[in-house]
Amino acid sequence: MNQVFSPEGWKSLRASWLLLVGAALAGSAIVYGSHWYGIKEKRDSASSERLLHEARARLDNARRERDSLNESADVFRTLVERGLLQREQRLDLVELVNALRTRHQLASLDYDIAPQRTLPLAGGRVFPSIDVLASRVTIKARALHEGDLLGFIADLTQSRQGFYPVDRCTMRRIEGDPDDLRPHVEAACTLEWITLKDKHANRPG
Amino acid sequence: MARHFLYLTNSRLVSMMTQGRRIVGRREFAVTASAAAELERHLQGYADVPVHLLTDLAEEDFRLDTVPHVGSRDREAIVARKLAQMFRNTPFRHAEVQGRESEGRRDDRVLYTAITNPEVLRPWLEVIEKLRVPLAGIYSAAVFSSVMLEELDLLFAHTLLVTFTPGGAMRQTYFRDREIKFSRLTPIDPEEGQSLGTLISEETTRTWQYLDSLRHFAEDDRLEVCVMLHARDRVIVQPALRDFAQIQHRILDMEQVAAKLGLRPAPLSSTAEEVFVHLYLMRPAANHFASPEIRRFETLRRARSALRRAAAVLVAAGVAWGGWNMSRAFETTEQDQRVAQQISTANQEYDQITRALPSFGVGGSTMRDSVSFYNAAIRGFPRITDFAVLLSQVLERHPEVRLDQIAWQATDDPKSTPALTRSPPATDVPVKAITAADTAPTRGAEAAAAAAPFSNGRYEVALVEATVREPTNDFRDALETVTRLAGEIATLPGTTADVVESPLDVSSSVAIQGRHGRSDPATMQLRFVLRVTRDHGGGA
Repeated sequence: MNQVFSPEGWKSLRASWLLLVGAALAGSAIVYGSHWYGIKEKRDSASSERLLHEARARLDNARRERDSLNESADVFRTLVERGLLQREQRLDLVELVNALRTRHQLASLDYDIAPQRTLPLAGGRVFPSIDVLASRVTIKARALHEGDLLGFIADLTQSRQGFYPVDRCTMRRIEGDPDDLRPHVEAACTLEWITLKDKHANRPG
Repeated sequence: MARHFLYLTNSRLVSMMTQGRRIVGRREFAVTASAAAELERHLQGYADVPVHLLTDLAEEDFRLDTVPHVGSRDREAIVARKLAQMFRNTPFRHAEVQGRESEGRRDDRVLYTAITNPEVLRPWLEVIEKLRVPLAGIYSAAVFSSVMLEELDLLFAHTLLVTFTPGGAMRQTYFRDREIKFSRLTPIDPEEGQSLGTLISEETTRTWQYLDSLRHFAEDDRLEVCVMLHARDRVIVQPALRDFAQIQHRILDMEQVAAKLGLRPAPLSSTAEEVFVHLYLMRPAANHFASPEIRRFETLRRARSALRRAAAVLVAAGVAWGGWNMSRAFETTEQDQRVAQQISTANQEYDQITRALPSFGVGGSTMRDSVSFYNAAIRGFPRITDFAVLLSQVLERHPEVRLDQIAWQATDDPKSTPALTRSPPATDVPVKAITAADTAPTRGAEAAAAAAPFSNGRYEVALVEATVREPTNDFRDALETVTRLAGEIATLPGTTADVVESPLDVSSSVAIQGRHGRSDPATMQLRFVLRVTRDHGGGA
């Protein structure tokens, strides 16, 4: 063994030692290179897995949204048709009220439409995609019979244009001779004329 | 692997090239003054092939001795010292510890051997040294011949192995219990009229006598003389061999020996050099005579070979490891491709779903929020008309009751109360309670209503003001009628009804005022107020 590490040995085996060192370097390079490539592939794979996870999550959301929207589509179609997502058409309301007044033969009809405002909802609830707007409408009417008043209110709340939920109403008998042709009942009601505004739509309020 | 064997006798040098376990080349040199130069030319073609030098020389001496049984390191020192003392004039010496004595101190038995005249090796070794040929070792053919006994199953207590060397000499090697004890080389130089068989017989007899003089035999011992001969010589020799009680001759037919050892082709003569080379290839032996200095080129060759093998192993290991890494990486790549395919499929389905979504010109979230708001706040919002219809159904069963006023509201607070303005009495009542409500109308928070949050309309709360017509002064029946009316209203689903103002408040906390004239009307109209609450359950 001493001869191997003697000067003569080093000289004689120099090429072999260099070959060994070169082989060690080459082997290490191969191992390191393949390891690096493997790590890179794993990293890419992890990225791909993440992308797949995201794609599946997005797809699941889309499916849920599709199912949800399919369930909601009919309702939403009705809402759109009733103008819930349109701006207030106050002239339409005026004409509607006048038409109903005539239809139900109201003796008198007074109404006030307040400026539109953002409607505060119970519990402070807000929606991310819509603003809920409302104009408070106060109606005072007189009629010969309470049926006329109730019919007027029913037709107004069930109108095919807009939503007018009546939240307060007082109906009172007016004293007098029942046979007189003058109003025998009066009503004072308040309702909210509700419209929705799409927050994503760039339309003036 | 190629090997180069040089079989050296006093008159011949036989060169044999082997490949694997076959002798593939043979050349014989006469030991003359020019032989070294011829060998040099011959060796130049095989300078890189390791050389094994087997000696079968007359100058080889054998001695037996015992040394105390000590540790291996001490024994090596003792043996080396004795070896140097015995053969101080030659570097080609060797010792073998053969076993232990059976009696006394049970010392170790040691065989010492040496080539006493180094000059017989010098010219050949100079050629080898000059050409830097790797010399693997110098071996004693006599010592190595013990392998032949084992391979040929010559398992006798006393064996004399007789072999022939190139150049006409006869080697007699004595083994006791397969341990070499003595060996001598005799030139085959028959006298006139003396046959080879007679010469062998006389020589073996002489050797027996010598060994017997050294007390190697007991009275009943017999020496088995094994003579390895080619068939051609056997017919000459065998008739001359005479067996005695102490000597038994056995002919080892060269072809049979070769067949048994797997030596092909079989040697063409009785000389044993090819058999020894083949035995070496079967069972390589350790070097006997060569010093490390002489063997340095072989040492370096082995080191070079080891380094190259190590380099190859490193590269192979790196390639294998790298291949394993790459295979895993490729597996990952294939998995990535599958994942990419799955992503593509998911995205395609997502796009299809997105395109097929009902949009109505707005985003899905807008649609969802709109429907959510509608379902929560509007769809189930109570209507006064529905309330009025239900109330009318109950009032129809009470013609004595006349409805004067309804104050109704939809709210999320069941305790809230709508505003009610008290109606003037229709008729004068002789007895009535005086309450705070007579002086101030019932007022709700009308002004705050506009600023209040829009309710979901879980509850309908109404104040129902009405009168009941009863015979004058029949207050008890009036009270019962109103109580019954409240009870009937309360039977409606989710509805409660309480009498807020009784036709006559008879509690002790309020005052009662009675005013009777000479005659009272036949009937009276008694005012009362009911508070009706209707729960729609969980919000509309």
